[in-house]
Amino acid sequence: MIFGMWDAVYFKLGPIPVDHIIVTQWVLIVLIGLIAFCSTRKMKVIPTGLQNAFEMIIVWTYDLFGQIMSKEHVAKRWTPLLSTFFLFILVSNYSGMIPGSSHIEGFQAPTSNWNVTMTLALITVFAVQIAGLSEHGIGGYLKHFVSPMPAMLPINILEEFTHPLSLTVRLFGNVLGEEMVIAFLMFMVPFLIPCTIMALGVLVGAIQAMVFALLSASYIASATSAGH
Amino acid sequence: MTRNKNLLGLLLSLVMVMGFASFCMASGGSDMPISSPPSSTPAFPNLYVIGWSAVNFFVLLAVLYKFAFNPINEMLEQRTTTIESSIKHAEELKIEVEQMRKEAQANLIESRKEAQIIVGNATKSAEDAKNDIISKAKEEVDTMKVRAKAEIEAATAQAKVELRDTAAILAMTAAEKVLGRAITEADHQKMVKEFVNEAGDLLC
Repeated sequence: MIFGMWDAVYFKLGPIPVDHIIVTQWVLIVLIGLIAFCSTRKMKVIPTGLQNAFEMIIVWTYDLFGQIMSKEHVAKRWTPLLSTFFLFILVSNYSGMIPGSSHIEGFQAPTSNWNVTMTLALITVFAVQIAGLSEHGIGGYLKHFVSPMPAMLPINILEEFTHPLSLTVRLFGNVLGEEMVIAFLMFMVPFLIPCTIMALGVLVGAIQAMVFALLSASYIASATSAGH
Repeated sequence: MTRNKNLLGLLLSLVMVMGFASFCMASGGSDMPISSPPSSTPAFPNLYVIGWSAVNFFVLLAVLYKFAFNPINEMLEQRTTTIESSIKHAEELKIEVEQMRKEAQANLIESRKEAQIIVGNATKSAEDAKNDIISKAKEEVDTMKVRAKAEIEAATAQAKVELRDTAAILAMTAAEKVLGRAITEADHQKMVKEFVNEAGDLLC
């Protein structure tokens, strides 16, 4: 196993198997939860230190995703989900850069597994359907499948499948690709060039997290828009 | 700018250390305490992984709602309320200050008017006092004139009487010398009477 990619059961919780990736997810959830807890434990009107940094990230995601959605109540309802996407994917991507990732049991970047990215994409798809239904009602929402003309029905239905597929493959491919390149270069040209790729990975990790969350935001915005 | 450079340097150093550590772990072989677990190509779809991932994601969403979104939203609302109340208070103060300024200006205008009235009154009083003094002086002058005229008339009358008496005595003396005898009381009375009448007509 040289490319840090495996799919194996780490242990079983009763009859349910738990993979290495799931254990990493738990650790990351605890980490994010701890940071959130410490940041918001003693909130001040004028923020300082960790509260300032964490609040800045959350408010930045609010602004970023809120701008995409034209309706304020839609933005208010769906921004927390999109912010969670962003934080979870960002931390997951960066977890692959920590020494020992893909080498220590129970430690692998969750987003380097397509089952995880597919899960996130499916959540987006469900969120898009719920957003569209709650905004337009069943009749109004189903109407968009035959717009602008009934002949577009197959293409519109196909679009509902291409969204999660593109989200899944893009994120999984980028993260796994970056990890594989680093792992491969480690053996071929130790230290210097892999470090450069890792520095690039810092950027790519943030960009991929943002792209996933922004695309999800645009799908929700599109489903809830007036002309949908 | 310097701070950004330091941050970039720190980030690069961190990446290099992490890369070196990864390299050491990866090339450690079987002597290392850590090793890659037995692996296989990821199955797709692995329903257990999908299920766990979905549960984990929603747990994270719940955790973030509890410890991030709700407190931050409340804080943002509190800040909005604080800022709004501050702005409202500032606007109220501005209105109050504007009102006070207007009042002060009105007071100033009124004070100026009052000052003008006071100065006017003072001028009028001074004018009255001047007129009063002048009229009193005129009255005094008139009184003095009347008194002087009366005194002059009295003196004139007295002088006339004295002159008449003197003239009578002179006439008597002159008559005695002309007659060469003493004039009796009856002569005397008659002559004085005639003389006085004549002299008096001349004198007056």
